[in-house]
Amino acid sequence: MQHSMTYIAVEALVKIALLAFIMMTAAAYLVLLERWVAAWVQDRRGPNRVGVPLTKIKLFGLGQPLADGLKFIFKEEFTPKHVDRWLYTLAPLSILAAALASFAVIPMGSSLPPIHIPALGLETDRIELVEAPSLDVGLVYVFALSSMAVYGVILGGWASNNKYSLLGGLRSSAQLIAYEIPLGLGILGVVLASGSLRLETICTDQATSGVWNIVWQPLGFLVFFVAALAESARLPFDLPECEQELIGGYHTEYAGMRLLLYLVAEFLHMVVAAFLIVILYFGGWHLWGLTGSESDPGWGHALARVAVLSLKTLAVIVLVMLVRWSWPRFRFDQLMTLAWKVMLPLGLVNLVLVAVLYEPELGGRMVAEYGAWTRAALGWGVMLAACAVAALTAPLATDNRPRLDWGVR
Amino acid sequence: MQTNDPSITWVEEPRLGLAGKMYLPLIVQGLTTTARHLVSKKVTVSFPEERPQIGNPLIYRGVHRLNKDEQGRVKCVACFLCATACPAHCIDIIGIESPWPDREKYPESFTIDELRCIFCGMCEEACPVDAIELTSLFDLTGRSREEMIFDKEKLLSVYDQTKDAEPTQTAQLAAEAPALPPSSGGAS
Amino acid sequence: MGTVLVNGVEVEVADDERLNGIQAAARAGVDIPRYCWHPGLSVVASCRMCLVETGTRNAETGAISMMPKLVPACQTPAKAGTVFVTESDAVKKARAMVEEDLLIDHPIDCPICDKAGECYLQDYHFEHGQKERRADIRPFTSRRRDLGPTVTLFVDRCVMCSRCVRFGREVAGTSELLVINRGSDEEIDVLPGFPLENKLSGNVVDLCPVGALGDKDFLYQQRVWFMKRHRQVCTHCATGCSIWTEENQDHVYRVRPRENPHVNQWWMCDIGRYGFHYVHDAARLVGAERRDGNSYKPIEWTEATAELGPKFDEQAKRGRLAAVLSPFLTVEEAFLLARWIRARDVDAMLAVGPVPVEGDDERFKSGFTIRAERCPNRKGIEAIVRHPRGELATWEDVLVEADAGRLAGVWITGGYPKPWVDEAAAGKLADVPLVVVQDLFGSPLWEIATYRLPGTAFAEREGSYVNANHRLQSVDWAVRPPAGARVEGSVYWQLLGMPGLYKSRRVLDDLAATIAYFAPAAEIVPETGVQLDAAAAQVSAAPLLASGS
Repeated sequence: MQHSMTYIAVEALVKIALLAFIMMTAAAYLVLLERWVAAWVQDRRGPNRVGVPLTKIKLFGLGQPLADGLKFIFKEEFTPKHVDRWLYTLAPLSILAAALASFAVIPMGSSLPPIHIPALGLETDRIELVEAPSLDVGLVYVFALSSMAVYGVILGGWASNNKYSLLGGLRSSAQLIAYEIPLGLGILGVVLASGSLRLETICTDQATSGVWNIVWQPLGFLVFFVAALAESARLPFDLPECEQELIGGYHTEYAGMRLLLYLVAEFLHMVVAAFLIVILYFGGWHLWGLTGSESDPGWGHALARVAVLSLKTLAVIVLVMLVRWSWPRFRFDQLMTLAWKVMLPLGLVNLVLVAVLYEPELGGRMVAEYGAWTRAALGWGVMLAACAVAALTAPLATDNRPRLDWGVR
Repeated sequence: MQTNDPSITWVEEPRLGLAGKMYLPLIVQGLTTTARHLVSKKVTVSFPEERPQIGNPLIYRGVHRLNKDEQGRVKCVACFLCATACPAHCIDIIGIESPWPDREKYPESFTIDELRCIFCGMCEEACPVDAIELTSLFDLTGRSREEMIFDKEKLLSVYDQTKDAEPTQTAQLAAEAPALPPSSGGAS
Repeated sequence: MGTVLVNGVEVEVADDERLNGIQAAARAGVDIPRYCWHPGLSVVASCRMCLVETGTRNAETGAISMMPKLVPACQTPAKAGTVFVTESDAVKKARAMVEEDLLIDHPIDCPICDKAGECYLQDYHFEHGQKERRADIRPFTSRRRDLGPTVTLFVDRCVMCSRCVRFGREVAGTSELLVINRGSDEEIDVLPGFPLENKLSGNVVDLCPVGALGDKDFLYQQRVWFMKRHRQVCTHCATGCSIWTEENQDHVYRVRPRENPHVNQWWMCDIGRYGFHYVHDAARLVGAERRDGNSYKPIEWTEATAELGPKFDEQAKRGRLAAVLSPFLTVEEAFLLARWIRARDVDAMLAVGPVPVEGDDERFKSGFTIRAERCPNRKGIEAIVRHPRGELATWEDVLVEADAGRLAGVWITGGYPKPWVDEAAAGKLADVPLVVVQDLFGSPLWEIATYRLPGTAFAEREGSYVNANHRLQSVDWAVRPPAGARVEGSVYWQLLGMPGLYKSRRVLDDLAATIAYFAPAAEIVPETGVQLDAAAAQVSAAPLLASGS
């Protein structure tokens, strides 16, 4: 069915509006979740007082995000005298825009059946649950936008005209650039396996085969997960803002709405990372026996897919939040060592492994002769072996004593 | 100080086995601990609805009180030692000649800025006549800064409010050792 | 020239010097504890706290022969070859014993004693006393005895050093205080009908090494360790005693003499000692005002300093300008104002403000003098007024000129602690079109002023005063002026458009370079001041010095 440009534009705009609204709300509630998890892990109860305004209904504190948002809005919009005004405002905007734009290629499910509501004169085509359907370079696009985040951070640090902010910004840019490489290597394995950069295709592939990528490529998952944590600056990789050393890092000088933009963007990065982890390694919207694997699902399957994807993503987010309370922050040299001396080689190993496994002459024949389990076994075996090798070379030393023999060398 | 200064004692890190160096088992261990706490019993006291249990009210450091002697007069002799000891400079005293024959000096005004106070208890330590003490009252609120500057009357009323539950240190000592004659003990 | 040996350290003593053991030890950096000895009083050697071992060194052989017993250092002359040992076990034991004896009957009421914190007994007990008190007597209160209008005695705190008694006999010459009874019943007292009420009575409180003598003016006001002291000069008479102004949180609590052999030695009079209260008088003027018809409108200081220059420039075209320099101003302030008014009108009239005089000079037995001239700086102001023409105009001259209508603008500085101008004088100035008055308290003059600028008192000023003996002494400011009042010097500094904050030392440099009289002040002014007119000093200071120790 051919549609007018108006239809296409309206469809896109409706999707964008809905997505932006959902994501901003989700970010707000994720802050609440973060505070809850933080409290629970520390044997506290967490925010549980704010409910419906002007009443005594507390609703377990579900009104907290509203109160937090209002607080930020009513805070003084203070701009320090010494900042570069343009960049100071531009930096949080750019980082938030990049974070929101990443969602354009992320499928929120597969697709909805056509909607016919004659009363409203509404008649739609099958609705793809992604803002920019059939974008062939989906992953490259996400990758490009995540690199844009560096600008927001380093511009914020530079515009603040404060040495702590600048240090935070520099650290952050070094970290983000360093971890782009393992991130890319992690993705590359999946892309190689499915032969496409489209996230929908990667999803559908896993659904069709019924086996998630994590089974084949645990090493790729490990590399990608660690890199994703670092890219979204979550503990134990939150060096850009580490309060104890940099009094907040690049957003030291920010307050009010501009700070809120930074904080929301940071959460959205985490959400994007969680979506990617689910889609790339955990089968996306697929769950055995619940979602089917057909390409044009009915309402039941379509909604089940949305729910499954959302729950999986939420689970990953909770995991990330738990990670925050499980490990202390890396030292900067350890952070860099981890990126260049551990994650990069591991990513390369994974890439080679995937290439070998999917090579028809080697991997193809092996699967044909001994069964598909050999591929999984090889994947896990290589991961353990690679980790063991990394451990034996022990690049992540905690001892940072100055080496006295350096002068002799 | 340089990091290779010989006076620094370096604590050797514990030796890890292969499993430890591989991080993965430790990661699982850490996550398990975190997850266990996620569902464990919470220690938070939901304050206005529940009241916290104060271990020993006699050594708790809450709102101050000014003790009275047997005749109901303020015990304070306006020596300023509490104000001297106070690290937050929250005690303000105006001393004048006392109207009583057995006392030389007494506070005409005695104010404590409870907002400035850090409840360290140094005033109680410094007091030579056990006139100022910290009580176990902790829920200290007010609607203005002025209201939180407690004057002599307010501090004396805290004494009336708490004297039964928390006897003064002098009373405690007397109760513990009734046999001691009054003139013994004490420093020169 | 002789050599005295103190704990093995050689100290040089000039032939014409007559030092005792305490003074010689001080030169070696050794502090010998003492209660009764004071450099300004006769030696009685009664407290026994300064007991030391002494002996002589044979000049030829170098052999030292010690005396078998301890002697009081205060009455042992330090001659060539004298040897003092102040830290031996015998000396330490003697000190601990004296401390113990003194404390047997001393009430332990340090928390309420005003001397606590600067008490010799406390300090020496910590330094030389025994760790524990063996006597089991614990008096907690002290009997009080009224000695006069200014001083009260806490009888039981007394250690019978008799410094106060000797002061009455040797310095004040009035001998009100005496020791009654004998032995352990000795007490300080006055005879019935003859209370301690000479004009130097406050000094006995400073002299008292313990808390026995209390200053009624300061009693219970403030603990001494809270106060910060500032070097100042008393402004109540032309003697210009060196003082410490002691304040806490911008409130002056007491004023005490600061040792200065050239001016006041160790003493000051009660007029100066208790005269500082006007600094915190509630009637002090605050807030600059400008006349607006028949009423006054408050103006900001910045506004006032911005428009006064143009206003005076305008008046200079219509007639002569004049500035009245009060003898309470520092020389720096007077110099800045003179410079400013002369910049408006080269021919401006400079005059010395009224010089308050009360009675005659009062001279005490030791030579200490309270001057009749009750202002600190007449000599300095006169030198500035005379520059460069040598003519000296007075307040009366200004009134005459003003009455004749020859003045177009007058700047009058006050700062007197007492009323100083009457209706008649103010009436003569009423017709001058521009009158700026800087003063502490309201007066008839204040009522006719075009601009009212609240001034400051001595404790708030920094600068220098020249006393009756031509001795220039520089002072620091002690407290900040009340909100709304500004230090005169900083106002003139701003009027002249000088950069930064008012710094009196910079002005004094200028002054020393400009006016020959002030040339000796070009160097750093020591704490005891600098003599501007050497010839005058020798004549008038001679008797004062001769009576010293």
